[in-house]
Amino acid sequence: MKKWILAVALLAWIPLPVSAQTLADRVVSHTLSNGLRVLMVERHQVPTISFRIIYKVGAANEVNGMTGVAHLYEHMAFKGTQTIGTKDYPAEKKLIEQIEQTYTALRAEEGKGIMADSKALARLATQFEALQKEAQNYVIPNELSEIYDRNGASGFNASTGNDVTTYMVSFPANRLPLWIAIEADRMAKPVLREFYKERDVVLEERRRSVETNPGGKLYEDFLFTAFAAHPYGFPILGWPSDVGSLSATETESFFKTYYGPSNTIIALVGDFKADKVIPLLEASFGKIPTTPPPPPVVTVEPPQRGERRVEVEDEANPQVLIGFHKANLHHPDDPVFDVIDALLSMGRTSRLYKKLVVELKIAVSVSTAGGSPGARFDNLFTLSATPRAPHTTKELEDALYAELERLKTEAPSQAELDKVITNIDASLVRSLRSNSGMAGQLAYFEAVAGDWRYVLRNRDAIAKVTGADVMRVAKKTFIKKNRTVATLSPVENGMGQMEDER
Amino acid sequence: MRHKPVKVGRFAIIFPIQLTLLLAILMLCPLPQAQAETKTSGDPRTMRFAPIDFQPPKAERLALSNGMILYFLEDHELPIITLQAMIRTGDIYEPANKIGLAGITGSVMRTGGTRTHRGDEIDERLDRIAAHVSIGIDNTSGGASLDILKKDFDAGLALLADMLMHPTFEEEKLTIAKNSALEHIRRRNDRPSSIATREFWKQLYGPENPYAREPTEKTIASIGRVDLAAFHDKYFAPNNMIIGITGDFQTQEMIAKLEKAFAGWPKKKVVFPKVAPVLERNKGAIYKVIKPIPQTQVRMGHLGIKQSNPDFFALSIMNDILGSGGLSNRLFQDVRTRQGLAYSVGSVFQPGKLERGFFLAYGATRTDATFQAISTMIKHIEGIREGLVTDEELRTAKEAFLNSFIFSFSSPSQIVGRQMALEYFDLPTDYLDQYRDNVAKVTKEEILRVAKKYLHPDRLIIVAVGDEARFDQPLSVLGKVEALAITP
Repeated sequence: MKKWILAVALLAWIPLPVSAQTLADRVVSHTLSNGLRVLMVERHQVPTISFRIIYKVGAANEVNGMTGVAHLYEHMAFKGTQTIGTKDYPAEKKLIEQIEQTYTALRAEEGKGIMADSKALARLATQFEALQKEAQNYVIPNELSEIYDRNGASGFNASTGNDVTTYMVSFPANRLPLWIAIEADRMAKPVLREFYKERDVVLEERRRSVETNPGGKLYEDFLFTAFAAHPYGFPILGWPSDVGSLSATETESFFKTYYGPSNTIIALVGDFKADKVIPLLEASFGKIPTTPPPPPVVTVEPPQRGERRVEVEDEANPQVLIGFHKANLHHPDDPVFDVIDALLSMGRTSRLYKKLVVELKIAVSVSTAGGSPGARFDNLFTLSATPRAPHTTKELEDALYAELERLKTEAPSQAELDKVITNIDASLVRSLRSNSGMAGQLAYFEAVAGDWRYVLRNRDAIAKVTGADVMRVAKKTFIKKNRTVATLSPVENGMGQMEDER
Repeated sequence: MRHKPVKVGRFAIIFPIQLTLLLAILMLCPLPQAQAETKTSGDPRTMRFAPIDFQPPKAERLALSNGMILYFLEDHELPIITLQAMIRTGDIYEPANKIGLAGITGSVMRTGGTRTHRGDEIDERLDRIAAHVSIGIDNTSGGASLDILKKDFDAGLALLADMLMHPTFEEEKLTIAKNSALEHIRRRNDRPSSIATREFWKQLYGPENPYAREPTEKTIASIGRVDLAAFHDKYFAPNNMIIGITGDFQTQEMIAKLEKAFAGWPKKKVVFPKVAPVLERNKGAIYKVIKPIPQTQVRMGHLGIKQSNPDFFALSIMNDILGSGGLSNRLFQDVRTRQGLAYSVGSVFQPGKLERGFFLAYGATRTDATFQAISTMIKHIEGIREGLVTDEELRTAKEAFLNSFIFSFSSPSQIVGRQMALEYFDLPTDYLDQYRDNVAKVTKEEILRVAKKYLHPDRLIIVAVGDEARFDQPLSVLGKVEALAITP
């Protein structure tokens, strides 16, 4: 039989510290002349390449009145460029400018509220619709995606988070030049065509994942309660009134501020030769002009002055979400939270599963997370649980707090700590199995931590965490004053749901 | 057979197994780099590339004397071994008064201990070595898997084999599984999308049909340890199982390990209960579930074909053009891109393995555009039966399929899993090759022929969950509407 692997020197990310060196040896990192960071790993088993582009921008870079703009731009990035998606760009451009002028006037008139001139409103609205129809004549809808599809793209998608925006795709390896040509073009000269229809699509996305989804509502209310000042409190999909008022001009300006080469990471994993690829990237992405560094996020969430609670009423069964404020991923205690996370909820032998699901039988599921909703800025350690009727969220809270108290008073055993590091090592190996998984890990940590090697350093830091560290950090963090609690409470027949009148 | 929309980043996608499940062939050897194009500054619309030349490895097949079928594919890149098993069973075989039994049996085989190890002890051992073990039973198959570091493989295999052969179904773990099933029943109306999908299956296959029926509090409550033991005893036997292994091992050694792990497990004759065939409804029907929500969930469709039907290949391309391939399919282009009515919209033509499959078009749209969206979807289902698709549509759909073919072979466990599934469902071993070759031959005329034959816009079963009073037009414009009462 044929062996899967032919020559290839063993990648061997053996879950031992030595493996760090092995991975480090295989990652080729290169900074293009305009500051764009590139990470590459050659893997020649299958003639495919997985690509990631991560921009260091997300909902955390937004401001009030323009929430949702990072995500809306991500949608617009699929609309093409000055060459792709258009039959006649100069003609289309003129119409897009007129649409923008009309929309600005329309929005200003609408902003007058009851003082608005209804005739002017009707006239502007008619004109706005007519111009969009006319512009549509120049559009080749979804052409970019069609070119990708025809060339065998797999997993073509994008996602917007609080910290970063990610674009991903895999191709047969010989399509590398196509990927470079298209991606460099859309990084340099995107065109925000069909903008106002896509804005409607995003509002549908919001209805689907938040407004008709009890868990989505709970998470949204949880975050804005925990973060009253910091933009981690903004919903990624934006407030409907903000999204529904964004213009293409404002959205493009957000793009220009945050999508510059020095704010961008590219990762390639698969069947290529790194030394051959670098000149190609330099000649394309490398030619994109540098932009000024984007403005820093300056807001810091002030310490809570007491417990914060929020209740969501819905025609659904109860859930509870609890968060404690903590520092960002650069804080030396961050690995301690990774250990606490694993002790509490990793697997069937974790403390919370054993206590709440198996022993007390008051929950059907329980989970924790070490960095919600992001990692770049000070964030939350969260616990979430689903009660089993007739048990209440109050009973779950009490049981969860009792387990957190136990962390403060009783050091975890060495066996427990060993189990944590063994599992973290194994999950690291598993996450690197696929090309796209590896590209994702490299680009993500380069973006949020400033260096992909963070993942290796953090692993070593986790291995050094002691029982005393766990107790110390638990005592400091898991206090009532530092906590935000969100509960989902059932109501009959949707009385809590009168929303979405836009 | 129950497919639910899965949100993946920007696009809501229903994964039709067969479309991801491809096939392939391609020729061996580590890929020559792109020859046709090396310039990166040209017009991407006119770039042309040579076909990829790649022959994926094939897994080695072996039948043990106890009837167990084994597939092996070595992969020495990482020190990990992955074992996957398929067991011939399914919840379609569970008794009608014990709906939920198959799923709970799988779950408690995993958690409920064996003759020699308590469940808690097994969990502790597996977590200590970071081994992932799962056992589950769905509609038409049972599955088990072990994903483990090479150095711990022997210990992991011994535990998994023990769970498969000698489960004891500890009472406490059964209670936890039943608790979970009951809570799931309580919560199954919490999301409108789940209501729409479930009610659609019930109308499509019939509420009592094994492919659509749902457990109730009563059927779950009636399930006891003896039922689990009996279900296990009936279906779990070496001759009723296929095992595939990939990873860092030597095949000869692995055969010996497997023989040892399952030694003494006797062969057994497995008799499958007869499953009543689904009945085709000869006319369409419209159902509504009223909920005061700002977005309407829509499902529409009808019964489809079995996998063995040779028209499947043309139908899969037809469906890519109608509502599944990329962003350029008709439903996406019109309902989403042009009209801005939906984030999630598309269609699925899913062939069935044992029973007939289905055609489904789905979408979710704001309340006051519900009728507009539904009528647009119907218009496109009608449209693809009324005229030839364009050359451009056909070319895009075929090239997308053929050029992404290689991603069906991007990992050894994918390759092995696929070979196992073909054997499990009695499909020819060269089915994937056939699939590719047949897709390459599909013509516009062929697409029109199968669309006319297998799409029935006059027989659509339509389910809408939403705030009917605020729809742009009442559903009754489309025909007689029946209100469905939702009970937990």
